[in-house]
Amino acid sequence: MNAHQIVEAVLFASDAPLTADELARADEGLDEDHVEDALQRLKAEYDDAERAFQLTELAGGYQILTRPEFAPYLERFDNVPRSTRLSGPALETLAIIAYRQPIGRLEMEYIRGVSASGVIRTLQDRRLIDIVGRSEGLGRPLLYGTTQHFLEHFGFKSMEDLPHPEELPIVLRERVPLGPESEGSEEAEEEQQTELLPAAQEYDGTANEEEGGQAEEGADTEDESV
Amino acid sequence: MDLTLTKPAPEDEGFLLVDTEQFQGPLDLLLHLIRTQDIEIFDIPVSKITAQFLQAIRGLDAADLDGAGEFLEMAATLIHIKAQMLLPRPLDEEDGDPRAELVRRLLEYEQIREVSQRLRAAEADRSRRHGKGYIPARPRRAVAELPLETTWDEVFAAALLVKMPIPRNREHRVTTRPVTMEEKAVLILDALKHSSRVEFSKLMDGFRGRSHGVMTFLAGLELTRRGILLLRQTRPFSELWIYRRDDGVPDEPAPATEEDDQGADV
Repeated sequence: MNAHQIVEAVLFASDAPLTADELARADEGLDEDHVEDALQRLKAEYDDAERAFQLTELAGGYQILTRPEFAPYLERFDNVPRSTRLSGPALETLAIIAYRQPIGRLEMEYIRGVSASGVIRTLQDRRLIDIVGRSEGLGRPLLYGTTQHFLEHFGFKSMEDLPHPEELPIVLRERVPLGPESEGSEEAEEEQQTELLPAAQEYDGTANEEEGGQAEEGADTEDESV
Repeated sequence: MDLTLTKPAPEDEGFLLVDTEQFQGPLDLLLHLIRTQDIEIFDIPVSKITAQFLQAIRGLDAADLDGAGEFLEMAATLIHIKAQMLLPRPLDEEDGDPRAELVRRLLEYEQIREVSQRLRAAEADRSRRHGKGYIPARPRRAVAELPLETTWDEVFAAALLVKMPIPRNREHRVTTRPVTMEEKAVLILDALKHSSRVEFSKLMDGFRGRSHGVMTFLAGLELTRRGILLLRQTRPFSELWIYRRDDGVPDEPAPATEEDDQGADV
């Protein structure tokens, strides 16, 4: 049995992405390098032979998925109605969580200007986000983050596949840090704290003062007095 | 985004109606006002925008406190900023501009909106690639078809099929001697004295009128409930057979039991 055959068998039987590490568990003789070689070989074989499926990198792993051009044929068999597409509010909220995780509900609501509790529930039900901890702030509110299923749902290899801030047409990077948390540059984190946390606190404490530096100072003192 | 605005002439601030339900929230609406009028976002004419925003939300459904509250909160913020703009500003322009935080929020929201549209595109691409298990398994079916069990509906339908001559005289008549269930019960029991079973239609021989059919049927149900009879029907709408119970009817009593319960309700 060749390594690439073993890897192929495991991938064939799986309905979710598997990492190279997980694939290597199939046999004692396999290590991650073998698996990587096997994956490259399989990928090339499928492409060369013009198979109807591809070896697809997804959520940090690999999965055999059909090529998009075959979707119309497969969808004829899909007699279970599925609501795969997310609503506008859900997508906006998810975008905020993806870039700002871990993040609490009040901060999401401040950024979008609307209530978020219903949308959070929907996203949790669909396993796209999960509770990742609690903030140190007043009331120790829950913090949310995206899940591996989030990457799978959008076909991302990793968080790096999210649009980078410099790709976006609106330029305000100095003031609005917007980048995948996984990059985690210290500078960005600092900016987040100075820019976002005061904003959220301000929203907590004084909903009627939302205008820049003066209000931020005011909010700090108010928070202490609460 | 399907943002439609009953297009105002920009110079006419008096007329501006927006369906707030079409917007994701107050920031969305505010951005729309700014972007459709080519307003420089770093120098928002607060007075004009505030007036337009207040006009736009005039039609808010006051009963929808959650939705309306978000727009009203923004309205309050705008008015607050407008008031601050009238006050003398500190020398440090950058920090002192009362609009700064609002501008930051608007740009941040615009960026989120952009990202969410990219996510939507990624989702659409991904949804056209399918993994194992996408096509659902065939629904499981029992290998052998189960024998039909008679239901109340079917029994009732068969009873209604019994031909009743339409009375020529359609006027309502109060009869002194209504058909009773008791007499029909006696009729059924008499018929079953000589044979172990009898067709329902046979019991109707010599009787005319719907009340005879109904009362015979009810009598049959009542006697079934008391365990004296069994009702049996092989197919929907086929003949209804009435069996004497003590004879040991070659039939499982399950359908009859079901009819019993139903009959008792009637």
